Amino acid sequence: MIRMNEAEEISSKQKQISISEFFEKNKHFLGFDTLPRAVITAVKESVDNSLDACEEARILPDIRVEIRRTKGDELELITQDNGPGIPRDAIENVFGKFLLGSRFHAIRQTRGQQGIGITGVVMYSQLTTGSKTHVVSKIKSDSSAVYVDLGVDTKKNKAIKSGEKRDIWIDDKTGNEVSHGLRIKTQMKAKYQRGKKSVFQYLRMTSIVNPHASISLVVLDREGSVIEEGDWVRTSNKLPRVVEEIKPHPHGIQLGTLQRMLREANDRKMTSFLKHNFSGVSPRAAKEILAMAEVEEGRTPKRIKAEEAKTMISAFQTVKLLKPPMDCLSPIEDLLIKKGLSKAIDSRFASTVTRSPSVSQGNPFQVEVGLVFGGDLTSDGPIEILRFANRVPLMYQQGGCLLTKSLEAVNWKNYGLEQPGGTGIPKGPAAVLIHLASTNVQFTSEAKEAVSYNEEVFEEIRKAMLEVGRGLKNHLKKDSQRKKAKEKFELVNIILPEISKKSSELLGREEPDLAPVITQIMNAVFLEEVLSWDKERRLSMCSITIHNYTARARAYTILAKWPESYGTSMEYNPKGGRKEARGLWAWRLDTLDPGTSTVLEFGISGLSKGDWNEADIFFRGNGEIIGATKMDEALLEEQRKTEALEAAVQEVRDNGGVSVRTDMEASQVLPNIDNNELGGPNVVDLSPSADTDWFGMEGDEQ
Amino acid sequence: MSDSTRKSREQVVDSLHQVAAEMHNRMQRGEPPRMTLPVRSKTNISFDNRLGVFKYGKGKTVRDATKLGSARQLLRTLHITEFIEEMIDSGKSSTLREMYYISEGWGNGKFGSQNESNNLAEDLEIVTKCLREDFKLRPEEDGARIIGNITVEEKNRRGEWMTINCRDDVGDSGYGVPYNVEEEKLKLVDEDIDFVMAIETGGMFDRLIENGFDEESRCALIHLKGQPARSTRRIMRRISDEWKKPIVVFTDCDPWSFRIFASIAYGAIKTAHISEYLATKEATYLGITADDILAYDLPSDDLSKQDSNALEAELSDPRFNTGWWQEQIKLMQEMGKKAEQQSLAKYGLDFVTDTYLPEKLDGIGLGY
Repeated sequence: MIRMNEAEEISSKQKQISISEFFEKNKHFLGFDTLPRAVITAVKESVDNSLDACEEARILPDIRVEIRRTKGDELELITQDNGPGIPRDAIENVFGKFLLGSRFHAIRQTRGQQGIGITGVVMYSQLTTGSKTHVVSKIKSDSSAVYVDLGVDTKKNKAIKSGEKRDIWIDDKTGNEVSHGLRIKTQMKAKYQRGKKSVFQYLRMTSIVNPHASISLVVLDREGSVIEEGDWVRTSNKLPRVVEEIKPHPHGIQLGTLQRMLREANDRKMTSFLKHNFSGVSPRAAKEILAMAEVEEGRTPKRIKAEEAKTMISAFQTVKLLKPPMDCLSPIEDLLIKKGLSKAIDSRFASTVTRSPSVSQGNPFQVEVGLVFGGDLTSDGPIEILRFANRVPLMYQQGGCLLTKSLEAVNWKNYGLEQPGGTGIPKGPAAVLIHLASTNVQFTSEAKEAVSYNEEVFEEIRKAMLEVGRGLKNHLKKDSQRKKAKEKFELVNIILPEISKKSSELLGREEPDLAPVITQIMNAVFLEEVLSWDKERRLSMCSITIHNYTARARAYTILAKWPESYGTSMEYNPKGGRKEARGLWAWRLDTLDPGTSTVLEFGISGLSKGDWNEADIFFRGNGEIIGATKMDEALLEEQRKTEALEAAVQEVRDNGGVSVRTDMEASQVLPNIDNNELGGPNVVDLSPSADTDWFGMEGDEQ
Repeated sequence: MSDSTRKSREQVVDSLHQVAAEMHNRMQRGEPPRMTLPVRSKTNISFDNRLGVFKYGKGKTVRDATKLGSARQLLRTLHITEFIEEMIDSGKSSTLREMYYISEGWGNGKFGSQNESNNLAEDLEIVTKCLREDFKLRPEEDGARIIGNITVEEKNRRGEWMTINCRDDVGDSGYGVPYNVEEEKLKLVDEDIDFVMAIETGGMFDRLIENGFDEESRCALIHLKGQPARSTRRIMRRISDEWKKPIVVFTDCDPWSFRIFASIAYGAIKTAHISEYLATKEATYLGITADDILAYDLPSDDLSKQDSNALEAELSDPRFNTGWWQEQIKLMQEMGKKAEQQSLAKYGLDFVTDTYLPEKLDGIGLGY
């Protein structure tokens, strides 16, 4: 639902806080403390804004960054996007004042969270070079673009505007008129540096977690020749889901916040105050809280005393509450993580996982991990760790960050990576991406470079690591099995016939029958799977060949993992079989006689070319199959139980959730969220399971 | 090995066919093809009382087509067999290196490295009990140089026999020993010497010549060029057999030099299948001994890690299982030192010919 005037709406939500003087004194907090860092921070503020704006306006972002050294320690930075642009009257506010946007008061996942960013760039430019920042902004509904030069009056917390004019904006790259977008050109004292902490690395990381964005970078020296460039083209046309704002959850509320909320409340009764200003509080829970806190339901919130507020806080922790809704989070989702990683890193294998959302102290959070292995990655030295909080790359203080610590806590030797000493960052040709999405990411300091310790988050990341670790282990095992099988095939299909031919020629004898020799040499059942893309039918095809090179007849059930989710389905499946669990299909094979082979084929719809490049094949039956893993029935049983539970929980949540939302809708606090897309990867198939009776739990009003 | 044991063309081809037949027979029985070889390591060599040299023992290893690597080896062996047959038929010969390059055209039978082709040729020698000369395969290894008053006849490339005196008809670099030193190529005609001295390093060889040691002490000098080539060892064996002259070996004092001596006197591990043909059991180790380092107070170097490992390995090498060698090795381990031949120059350029060698030769009854 894209609205005509989205640009105007976004900017109108922004409130102002006068802290520009504070900033001038504390610019190191905001990332302008060193010359190499200043340019990274400037790019970061600008690019984050562009991505956020495009996301809200539902535009696929095209972002260009150009850096040119001008003289000595000074450079010019140009950033340009194709976002909604900023309306003329809002430009002063956006660039000239520290803005704490809607995001500061509402709770949801955003990149910036503070809204202090781009003003900092304008101010830094002014402080270090005395120059103005040039802005070109074009919104769709205007016929021309606004050109304006901006500075900041840090005492009055006001923008100083000059040289304003209107003109047609012609893109200097394409030569076309720009219909909407923003271009910022600024001078600053800064130094461009290459390496791990560079603009290049920042944009590379940004492009990984924003596969829907196209980002390019050109860095020029004083003579105008290119020193560094990057071009990361979008690999997905799917914009991140619109995140919904949610009310705070009572579990995360401090006394001060509660008191402020009570003071500012317009509700007449405490029951409606609780229902309207918090998430997870059903009418029944509101009554219970008030009863426990010994506060009468009909009291006016403004009149609640500090003592009473205190008892309410403890009641919050005791009364059973619904979890906060999770649609305030925007996970990247495993498939897109894979695409994002493949955009920046050439690897042979990728394993990704998006954990189900979880809650810590009333704050919803969600963890995602991606691991890539092999290919161009170097094998000497520690693996690369790519840390992200709400899609924003974290480039500094790697060692002190919770995300790093959770990775170090895993015994990677079990999963095929070297880890000298058994702890710490593993070594090998791998890179690990860790994304923490949360409405409230806690950092160790104002600089927001390292996530601080949190038991629940740590545990979630660790679990996610184990999952991708298992994926890697399977891959490596499969790789070596595949290699062995390949060697055996070469041996019996190529070398052995040649030995037979050559020895027969030399001796002038008949060639022997090799079939029994081959059975003796192989003495195993081999399975080979090939994944391919059927262009015509747009199917991801999987073809499994099973050879019985033993002297006995064999009977097996073959099971294959496939990417089952919304939008994908087992479209082509001539052999039938049945679903065993989510994403796991089984086929019973006919008896396979010695020396024979059979082929099993199926095709998945709903994926794009290259989305699926590694299948896991399992089997049931006697004897080993080289190239497949024996099905772990206990694990399967566990998965089935989890699925049943998840489905039931989801049902309850839907039930409870609907009633809460209806409440909110009635009070016009939240926008309509009925038609949002719930398409997280971990959202289960929601068919109600008739045999589970979870109704009547907390949150049910019937 | 005398001429009578050399094989005819038919015998060579026949022996090679037996290797192919072992593979073929097994495939006919429904079993993976294979080749049986002696284990070629120090754990599988033992002293042959009758021959007086070290030979392979009974340890066998089977190379069969159950692994890709071994199967490739078998296929290559068959290609070599075919190649040798062709050479025998057309009267050609080739170097081992040439064969390595020719294998480029053998598809899946192609060698991975020259070392591999050399080893396979040796394997074939061992299982067929033929010599690589029978296979028309030549090494490109460097033969020795000889200076001394001996006369040989060598058949040149035009097929003519030419007579060469290794003192009067050669320059400073001496007579170059050809790769084939068998009767059909080289005859030992005449000598006027008392013994033969084999020398490890070129520097010492040249020093003795400059000092006129060969004439003064009536000996022939042979430069070994490190680990001696087969032809070098073979010609020493023939001089010992045919002229009954003592062979003394003069090397550095380090574990590698001990191995050089062992390959001359006892037989090399790699060629233990033809030790009776290459090894000269009458050869004597003259020096430099570990005792000499002490007795002559020679400048010495510390043993490296590799040196120490090699010494340790020699303690369990059956060829060094004599009281004298065990004593020498242990003494060296105790000192932790090694010395070069040329360390004798500490006492002047003439010390080696004026003092050291006369004293050492005197000790073994070869004084002059």
